[in-house]
Amino acid sequence: MIKVGIPRALLYYQYYPMWKTFFEELGAEVVVSSPTTQTMLSSGSSRVVADTCLPVKIFLGHVLSLVEKCDYIFIPAIRSVKRKAYNCSKFLGLPDMTKAVIPESPPILDIEIDINKGKHRLYQAIYGLGRHFTWNPFRVRRASLAAWQAHRKYRELMSSQGLTPPQAIARMTGEVELKASTSTQATIALIGHPYMLYDEHISHCLIHRLEQAHNKVLTPEMLTTEELESATARLVGKAHWTYEDEVVGAGGHYLETGADGVIGLMTFGCGPDSQMMDMVRRRATRLRVTTFMSLTLDEHTTEGGVVTRLEAFLDMINRRKRRQVEVCV
Amino acid sequence: MRVGTSHLGNISIMIKAWAQRLGGSLILPPVNNQRTLSLGVKYSPEGLCLPFKLTLGNLIEACELGADTLIITGGDGICRLGYYAKTQEQILRELGYNFEIIQLSLSGQKLFGLLKLMKRLSNNASWFKIISALRFGIVKQFAIDKIERVVQKVRAVEQIKGTANRLYAKAIAAIDNADNYNTLKRVQRDYIDQLNHVAKDTQAKPPIVGIIGEFYVTLEPFANQNIESELGKLGVEVRRRTFISTWTKFSFFFNSLGWDEKSKIHKAALPYLKRDVGGDGWETVGEKVLHAKEYDGLVHLAPFTCMPEIVAQNIMPSTKENIPVLPILCDEQMNRTGMLTRLEAFVDLLKSRRRAHNNNQHRGS
Repeated sequence: MIKVGIPRALLYYQYYPMWKTFFEELGAEVVVSSPTTQTMLSSGSSRVVADTCLPVKIFLGHVLSLVEKCDYIFIPAIRSVKRKAYNCSKFLGLPDMTKAVIPESPPILDIEIDINKGKHRLYQAIYGLGRHFTWNPFRVRRASLAAWQAHRKYRELMSSQGLTPPQAIARMTGEVELKASTSTQATIALIGHPYMLYDEHISHCLIHRLEQAHNKVLTPEMLTTEELESATARLVGKAHWTYEDEVVGAGGHYLETGADGVIGLMTFGCGPDSQMMDMVRRRATRLRVTTFMSLTLDEHTTEGGVVTRLEAFLDMINRRKRRQVEVCV
Repeated sequence: MRVGTSHLGNISIMIKAWAQRLGGSLILPPVNNQRTLSLGVKYSPEGLCLPFKLTLGNLIEACELGADTLIITGGDGICRLGYYAKTQEQILRELGYNFEIIQLSLSGQKLFGLLKLMKRLSNNASWFKIISALRFGIVKQFAIDKIERVVQKVRAVEQIKGTANRLYAKAIAAIDNADNYNTLKRVQRDYIDQLNHVAKDTQAKPPIVGIIGEFYVTLEPFANQNIESELGKLGVEVRRRTFISTWTKFSFFFNSLGWDEKSKIHKAALPYLKRDVGGDGWETVGEKVLHAKEYDGLVHLAPFTCMPEIVAQNIMPSTKENIPVLPILCDEQMNRTGMLTRLEAFVDLLKSRRRAHNNNQHRGS
């Protein structure tokens, strides 16, 4: 059986159920790398120039951990999944960059997704990917339809039941599910790309820490696509980046309703986020309703620094809430 | 309507020529200087790239001088440039300036976009007048770039360092003042003549260094600490593909006719990078592959945190075609002495490589 490796980084959190279904329908076995470790980060960052961003370094670490464990590695180049909104250069260059810096990697399954080039080109690209496994176009079609169903179910699961991607993936694959905490001090919304929020090594277990302090955590995936899109439109008009909704849309939405505080998580040197997070920050300054904190992380960020800032932020929110109660009384 | 815009190398000469011919009132901010940079850095989000900060500084200075219409470049591209207008507008509004914003899209219909914009800004001048103004500005730009190409050669071999730079500065001023085609032609001929007669070291065989990388920082001497002139002082002949004139020629006219000057470069890059990654990343890889045989070395210029150039920088060491590349990242912290030290070391390396190569050839024959 052909083994396809999927690194547990970057777009894994957005599309894993879809990819898994697609490859399994075509008769392949999917191998996912284990959660991020410090070794992965060090091995990944030793291969690239220093100012490459943290998530890409970690991605390469995951690829390195998959070498010799699979026959192919799946690295799509997603240019655009929305009309006239494009993805960051690093996603587009990812297959070629991986090939250049990890010459020992298994052959890379490289597919370019660009909605702007029309449906026909998209179908061609998908068939091109399926050709590695079968000649039969109908089988590829069936697999992609099943994959799309899985993706729909995944999004549904997150937006209707308020699950985070790791929880939803666990539920879909039937693994043991982590229990979400019930007690609530405050509701904190986390905004940022999924590969930042749910990679516990990058975020220093931010979600877990917030829940430990008896807070309810909201994430961008818990909103429906419509809510995200309308919030983006209100804040910046037409989206420019492919994954702008997760930052600007979610930020705009949670700043207006539903949260006591918003934490923006971005990585140092992230091109799109440097502008999008700034938009959210400016919005927060103008609204003056919800407390906003932006955390910029890189491989030097220490746990202590994150914890200190988090504690100060939570203290501020709790004091604010107490004062509001006093005013009401 | 008082129109303000930002700088990019010598582009202001072309814009000025348009404004003069069309009679619009143009507010040109002072050329990039330390204050521009400080203003830009002060009001920009910290993680943004140098071109954003400098152009923001320009726009603030234009607003201070009373501009009420700002032209900001943008587009649908992959790089952050497409988002510049949104962010810069917000920052300027928060600073309390009152202005109307015009986005000049660098993707899509470039020429018609520009023509329509000129029509609007010139209070409905006749199309004849607009096209003749457009042509005059572009011809000026061509004259400047033609002289610059000669300057790049002369700098390396001139006996008294700095002569070419002085002549170049004078030439720019003369071209700026020229108000008809005849004067322009005369000025161009004159200065190329003068440059050819500068006292030169005829024995020297200067190493050739290509400048590749991101568009803005390769063209804006303030952003790259005048790297070309510094290389000239070290006795290096500089070559560069990007010139404003060639860019205008292709992206405004020939590209829409299906003639792409970059297709050769893209083809060269294909084995290593299969697709456009936005900005100039694809071209950077392609140029390395293409010029590996022709040049002695390459200097790769990129703004700090530039996404496309980081991709290129990661891919470049893996190419079969081998040539020394010196990556230089430009940002507001960039320090001249540090850069000079690196350049000197790089040029020494190129010279010793050349010596070793020549010795090998002697031994071989």
